[in-house]
Amino acid sequence: MSKPHYDREHHVKKATGIGDPQCFKGEAGPAKFKVGDKVRIKDLPDIFYSRTQVYTRGAPATVAELVYESPAAEDESWDNTDNPVWFYSVVFKQKDLWPDYPDTFANDTVETELPERWLEPL
Amino acid sequence: MAEKHKRAPMVDEVSEFEVLEIAVRELAIEKGLFTAEDHQHWTEYMHTLGPLPAARLVAKAWLDPEYKKLAVKDGVKASLDVGVDWVNSMPTKFGTPSDYCNLRVLEDTPKLKHVVVCTLCSCYPRPILGQSPEWYRTPNYRRRLVRWPRQVLAEFGLQLPEDVEVRVEDSNQKSRFIVLPVRPEGTEGWTEDQLAEIVTRDCLIGVAQPRPGKTVNDPRPVRPAINPYKH
Repeated sequence: MSKPHYDREHHVKKATGIGDPQCFKGEAGPAKFKVGDKVRIKDLPDIFYSRTQVYTRGAPATVAELVYESPAAEDESWDNTDNPVWFYSVVFKQKDLWPDYPDTFANDTVETELPERWLEPL
Repeated sequence: MAEKHKRAPMVDEVSEFEVLEIAVRELAIEKGLFTAEDHQHWTEYMHTLGPLPAARLVAKAWLDPEYKKLAVKDGVKASLDVGVDWVNSMPTKFGTPSDYCNLRVLEDTPKLKHVVVCTLCSCYPRPILGQSPEWYRTPNYRRRLVRWPRQVLAEFGLQLPEDVEVRVEDSNQKSRFIVLPVRPEGTEGWTEDQLAEIVTRDCLIGVAQPRPGKTVNDPRPVRPAINPYKH
């Protein structure tokens, strides 16, 4: 029985001298959302690993910027870099995250980055 | 006024995580995942880092509108002008899971104030800003800043008017952030060196505003540990 081969250095070979996330540029295909789109953060299961904060789940947000392409954290944590996706910088109104946030400061916002798979159109 | 505010405390203690780090490092060296020389190489690289390049970047952006545009559009490229190569100056030459190569420079305006946090861990733009201060890594700061930003900023002595939008940047993926504050009044005609001096680390995280004459971070009081580590 031959030993299964796994290249533990595949990421190093791909990213050296280019940088991460730059090494995934152009691999995600067309972006589903554009700047200004209204989106809602999905509440997907995350029993192993995720970088989508619980406080953002289910909240409405606005796309502020398409930032880069990269595998989502849920995949990359298992060294799976086969499916890079677009990452978006999204802006939440504080009031949409915390219903008792004071109306006096209605302009206050939170900005964070999320992979495309966590967003649905609103 | 700056001396009156109640400051967020830190704890004076060697944490179990530091002990764990040593144990894991020694195991990794023993197993051959990396060598003691690799570790030394990284450690020495990390010790060269500090907030001066980021302060320089802000000072240059204040003086040169074209450079400011570049900094906001492509922070990695703008960093080259202050001597920081996000890709090639790291010993790995591609970044690491805690220092990816995507810097975003957040431009404040008189009506918009950015402040940076990492609620999930402690993501920090180390290649351009050095090691994070301990308070940045505490759950106290990370948990409360997204929920009560104005109250937390007030503890740092920064009270902002109602009509200023406070934007908390939660650094949770591959971008790292520094704040480009508004150039304060009273700095007309200053040189780049003079301007860079007032851009402190706290200004770059967003918990302070630069002002003439203020060239150091406010000290953070240290509270003695309840269960101190026994050396």
